Amino acid sequence: MNLLAVGISHHTASVEVRERMWLSEEEMRRALAQLKDRFFTECVLVSTCNRTELYGIVPSGGTVDAAILSQFLIDFKKASGVVHPAHFRSLAAGDAVHHLFQVASGSDSLVIGDIQILNQVKEAFQLSRDQQVMGPVLNRLMQAALHVGKRVRTETAICEGAVSVSYAAVELASKIFADLSRKSALLVGAGETGELTLKHLLGKGIGQIRVANRTREKAEALVATLGGTVVDYAAVMETLPAVDIILTSVSSPSPILGPDDVQRVMRQRSHNPLIIIDIGVPRNVNPATKKIDNVFLYDIDSLSTMVDRNLDRRKAELPKVDAILREEVVEFFRWYNALQVGPTIQELRDSFEAVRQQEVEKNINRFRTEDRELVDLVTRRIINKLLHQPMTVLKEGTAEGNGKAETMRRILIVRELFGIGKTERESDESE
Amino acid sequence: MDPRVLSGILLFLLPFLYAGLVLLYALTFFWGVRAVEALKLPAVVAVITVHLVYLAARTVAFNHPPITSVFEIMTLLAISIAIAYFYIEIRTNASATGFFILFLAFVFQTFSSLFIKDLLQIPEFLHSLVLGFHVAAALLGYTGISLSAVYGLLYLMLYHDIRSSRFGIIYNRLPNLETLETMSLRSEAFGFWALGLAIVVGLFWLPRVFKDFSYWDPKLVGTIAIWVLYAIGFAAKRKYGWQGRKMMIVTLVAFCFVFFSMTVINFYLSGFHSFH
Repeated sequence: MNLLAVGISHHTASVEVRERMWLSEEEMRRALAQLKDRFFTECVLVSTCNRTELYGIVPSGGTVDAAILSQFLIDFKKASGVVHPAHFRSLAAGDAVHHLFQVASGSDSLVIGDIQILNQVKEAFQLSRDQQVMGPVLNRLMQAALHVGKRVRTETAICEGAVSVSYAAVELASKIFADLSRKSALLVGAGETGELTLKHLLGKGIGQIRVANRTREKAEALVATLGGTVVDYAAVMETLPAVDIILTSVSSPSPILGPDDVQRVMRQRSHNPLIIIDIGVPRNVNPATKKIDNVFLYDIDSLSTMVDRNLDRRKAELPKVDAILREEVVEFFRWYNALQVGPTIQELRDSFEAVRQQEVEKNINRFRTEDRELVDLVTRRIINKLLHQPMTVLKEGTAEGNGKAETMRRILIVRELFGIGKTERESDESE
Repeated sequence: MDPRVLSGILLFLLPFLYAGLVLLYALTFFWGVRAVEALKLPAVVAVITVHLVYLAARTVAFNHPPITSVFEIMTLLAISIAIAYFYIEIRTNASATGFFILFLAFVFQTFSSLFIKDLLQIPEFLHSLVLGFHVAAALLGYTGISLSAVYGLLYLMLYHDIRSSRFGIIYNRLPNLETLETMSLRSEAFGFWALGLAIVVGLFWLPRVFKDFSYWDPKLVGTIAIWVLYAIGFAAKRKYGWQGRKMMIVTLVAFCFVFFSMTVINFYLSGFHSFH
């Protein structure tokens, strides 16, 4: 198999290096066109904040040096001062297939189980199709990679559990409240993590957000971006009974909320559950508040513990993911190996023969006993004649002067036309 | 097959079938075995079907519906819980609580299978339609209360884990606290009204049937006491705004009284409410 993969990722390079190699959509379009012209019959580029990887099918009989491809990418990005070929890693054939599947599954991501990568692979696939640099092999490979990504997410827990402090806070809220659209949140102090948590809450459909900050302009700026309302910093205490989630991220040497304040708030809100996420350092909420019934208080340490445990759980899923990847690599090569003239002709014959036998068996009683042998013979001849033309076309495909790509094109057309070699899954997908 | 032989075989098999069901749900809940995920709901349907066949066979074999003793009621309670769970799972598409609820059905069925007695002769009044209605209402009441207790227990387990930052299986698999609380309170309200209906029907019907009827019958007093306890709980929730943990503790304490009433009172303090 002439598949070659060359790329830079968080395994091989620091963020300073990786960011120099990141390709915008426009850059990818230009790079793909040049790569197809100079090196490949088919190619695809995957570029995210953690990796820039190139997958290509080398023309049959030709060779492409991985170092040349690395240099091409470096030159394309004009990054020769910062990025070196040593930052790249190259893989071929089965290793490249396995690696792409790892990428799509999220098991190769910086944060294991990253859910964005599958979309990024999908976008890369779409871009290559738009640029018409996609051929039968990579088309199939990318579809298989997307299938792998979905399968891994369904069959394993690799994407489960929050893996950032801000998302952990949101996950906690979802574990306490059934419907966030009926709840409201208040952010006290417009810090970066607080802002991020608020964004995640909005993503989960929180009903209402309020922001209070010592510098009112900062709160107003945040509200202008995210929506919601600004609360006067001095009026925070009066607002507390009306909110279900309090995020505090204030620079203060002593706690801004204590057990007595929260007791009072709880009485005012009829003891409905209250979540307090304290991401301030030093802590903004007195830890004794945690003892109050129906109050769920979390500080940065407890959220970090949650994140660490989730990461461990995700890592524990890797053997299951690997088993799926191995199955899918075998499945892909089963398809690829069938793309030979010999097996295709055999399968075509078998498929026609199966139809012939079925029809003869169904109708044989309509013929007299002495004619039945003749029916068998005649139908065989008909099949042979019908098959003659497609088989000739297939064999011509391998004739001198026709490249591997032409052979493959003919094989794929025949397989598609006569529906041969389709697995149950493929039939389902095509429907 | 002879109905009595069939009911005997199924009586023996049912605890094992419920145990298998509980095991299926445990495999997915505790060990995340996804391979058996698709088997769970069909298995619930299969066990409920077998249980219905058992009840039909038993009714034919002994010429009366299985409502004459506490262990007959327990087998009805088991299937009632299983059916209620089946309904909940298909409505909510969430199977995380299945292990705990079906475990309760397993416990009731095991008790029933171990101690149930074959009664051929029963008093004539036990064929009464009013009794059937009284028992059905009580059964629905106890099913609601049992489900409410399971949800209450799950709520407290999850509440404890969330508050102590223990993010393990309970945290990862159970639905959120608000859902558990709602499920518990709804089941409880349903059970409360159904049990109330059973009590009202009983109070009108029982004095007409039993010559030795007494308003101080331990079971009657126990059931009314339980009902009053639930009524106090609901009133306190409304008046003092009891929420979450406090309300779930009340639910569990009330369920302990129910269990006490079903066991101790039935076996040791039985009055006219004993039919054999």
